[in-house]
Amino acid sequence: MKTLNLIFASLILSVAVISCKKEEKSNEQVKTDSLTSKKEVEQEFHKEWYGIYTGDFNSKPKPTEYGNEIEEYKKISVKINRITKDSVYGYSVVNGNQRSFRGILNENTLGLILDEPGNDKSDGRFQLKLKQDSLIGDWIAFNKASVKSPEKTLKLTRKEFAYNPNFMLSKDQSEDSDYENPVDWNGGKVKKNSFVNDEGKTETYENTFYRSASDNVFKINASKQKLTEKDLKNLRKLDLQIIRNTVFARHGYSFKKETYRQFFENTDWYVPVSNNVDADLTPLEKENVALLARLEKYAEDHYDTFGR
Amino acid sequence: MLGFIKSKNIILKGIVAITFIYFFGLMLKITLDYIPVSSNVGFLMIKQTEVNSRPEYLSVFYVHVYSSIFALMAGFIAVFFDKKLKYLHRFSGRIYVFVTLLFSSLSGIYIGVFANGGSIGKISFVILGILWFYTTYKSYKEIRKRNIRQHKFWMWRSYALALSAITLRMWKVILVYLFHPNPMDVYQIIAWLGWVPNLLLVEYLIKNQK
Repeated sequence: MKTLNLIFASLILSVAVISCKKEEKSNEQVKTDSLTSKKEVEQEFHKEWYGIYTGDFNSKPKPTEYGNEIEEYKKISVKINRITKDSVYGYSVVNGNQRSFRGILNENTLGLILDEPGNDKSDGRFQLKLKQDSLIGDWIAFNKASVKSPEKTLKLTRKEFAYNPNFMLSKDQSEDSDYENPVDWNGGKVKKNSFVNDEGKTETYENTFYRSASDNVFKINASKQKLTEKDLKNLRKLDLQIIRNTVFARHGYSFKKETYRQFFENTDWYVPVSNNVDADLTPLEKENVALLARLEKYAEDHYDTFGR
Repeated sequence: MLGFIKSKNIILKGIVAITFIYFFGLMLKITLDYIPVSSNVGFLMIKQTEVNSRPEYLSVFYVHVYSSIFALMAGFIAVFFDKKLKYLHRFSGRIYVFVTLLFSSLSGIYIGVFANGGSIGKISFVILGILWFYTTYKSYKEIRKRNIRQHKFWMWRSYALALSAITLRMWKVILVYLFHPNPMDVYQIIAWLGWVPNLLLVEYLIKNQK
């Protein structure tokens, strides 16, 4: 009996220390992003211009002996994700090369000046004009010597937002991304670790852990299939959150949380057009969203605590 | 020398009691989450399939939740005061046997049939429930025959299984902290880790006593 007590007590005590620590952890709140947002959100303007503009991206005609000649014909998509008081955000895609841009909007002339990051040799500046549903202008490389056609013209027309239940997130196949699956870069948790160095001193260092989603976010479609507890029980919170918010993304919901923006803004189908899409959800989607929210709540409250 | 051993024993008992009270407090807190009765609280949040499709599920679940907290406390008192305070030992022991045999273990077997974690989870919880009933019954039979030694050993087994309520949740905290597994993956592991090592430890202690 004595040994029983001893072994049992030491086992329990060592665990008590761990579980205490876990309980102190502040509980971040699970909230339905579509309904509430904690952070102060920067005001957005001209949502009517958000969307995808696609069309020609050709080199500027050059005069030759035989008349004007165009050397390069390409297609480009320009996507405007967000217009705030002083900035315009979005990206362009040419032949699968996606480059984000940030720029300004002149409200009087409806002119846009959009700059690519500049860390790629083919980055440059767009100067475009909005005319009803078209976007017209040119692009000039920052470094004219580094590209074949440093000056190009753009003639784009707008692609309308349309709901489609088939839209899904897909694996990030681009070469410059190390992560195929969505990662919540905004919700990192800092963990402190310590080790004893060569001189026998204890040093501590910090690691930031980010949550990453599983392949289930590419497979489970809450707009098309009736989901059951069984389908979702084994998923972690981030997966549940993404599957639920993909429903809202399909309806063009403009996410207030950076986390979700970041996931969906990299897709070609997501066009944020509304601040509230709750009324647009289909009955199936409403049921699934409620189920997902319930399981998220459970995951939030119970995943790592003493309990089930 | 005798005094030294005695005081060491008292300290040890004190540590065990304090540790138990701490974990009993956690279990009580979990139990109190289920007051007042609700069909969609705590663990039931991921059990709505069963709640909605089986009319008896909710009642049996609540029988398990409300009765088991008494079994946990009564069992501890009975094992802790196995030599002193005979009256308290008998009183708490009767409560433990009564509550376990009639309510906690039987309801445990039923909800085990619908446990999370697929057949791996279900098999574990059903076996756990059956063993809990059997060991408790055996222990009761032995004491009716005034066979104190066998009564003690069977009761150790029974209470080691009862303590799986705590050890299972401890393992969960540890495994999630270390590996961040998916919720049902960890559930399949703790379903077994919760009671098998307890039973092995108790068998080892019984072997040492013989």
